[in-house]
Amino acid sequence: MIPHARRLGLRFLDKQGAYVVTQMPYNPELDVLPGSGIMANGAITTFLDTALGSAVYDKFETYKKIATLDLRVDYFEKPTAFSSVVAKTRCLKVTDQVVFVQGDAYCTDETKPIAHAVAVFSYQEITSLANGPEGQIL
Amino acid sequence: MSVDFLVNLKNTPVFDQSLDISPYAKMMGFRLIRREGSLTTAMAYHGDLIGSPFPPVLHGGTVASLLEMAALMELIWTIDLAPNLSNDLASLPKTLDITIDYLRAGKPVDTFAKARVYRRGRRFATLHTEAWQTSPDKPIAAAMLHFQLTD
Repeated sequence: MIPHARRLGLRFLDKQGAYVVTQMPYNPELDVLPGSGIMANGAITTFLDTALGSAVYDKFETYKKIATLDLRVDYFEKPTAFSSVVAKTRCLKVTDQVVFVQGDAYCTDETKPIAHAVAVFSYQEITSLANGPEGQIL
Repeated sequence: MSVDFLVNLKNTPVFDQSLDISPYAKMMGFRLIRREGSLTTAMAYHGDLIGSPFPPVLHGGTVASLLEMAALMELIWTIDLAPNLSNDLASLPKTLDITIDYLRAGKPVDTFAKARVYRRGRRFATLHTEAWQTSPDKPIAAAMLHFQLTD
């Protein structure tokens, strides 16, 4: 398990066709303001980064070392207070070097996303655990 | 996040202030530092920030989060400081989008970020942020952000 993903309490929920469905349960420690019930943008960004990484891993049979090259998040609206956030992510394309992915985050209604994300991940076979990758490991 | 405490800090030329007023910022170990007139946001390293354990590398999302916090702090610091800003989310600039470029793997050490306001219009602001660890000349990530200014 990824330490920071564990800290955020991220959970894999389901696989729906091409989509990987993951969840960030509501946690008051992730509030922007005490008692607001609104989880911080930063937590949602990290959640989406991780959820997109899951969509990348989902395309491979064997474990790969992956790194986010770039990530874009559009924030449509604040999450619902005291609500968990769900992400549905999918792979758009796998090339010989990178994977293109995208996804949406929503609270309760899938047709009303609160954020949208697009990312490109690089991947490589695990050759040596001592070798650092170019970008950022998920 | 209340910006009242920032109003007081504005008259302090040198400080290193934790952002514990926000539960999320506290969990992340965010601090606001002012030295030689410039504002830096820091993320104190702790094990929960790791995204990949062997070798230990920071989770990319934590760096994204630091970049956004640095941009928000710079924006509030440079434009919106008023003692009567209310202690609620509605008074804060709203992040519209963030685009992050990951340049180097984040080492398990403290990370710093500094933002620059490219343009502040009446309704929107555009900022650029860079994050580094050992030296500002070697950024580990950079981001471009757009904010909607609510007031």
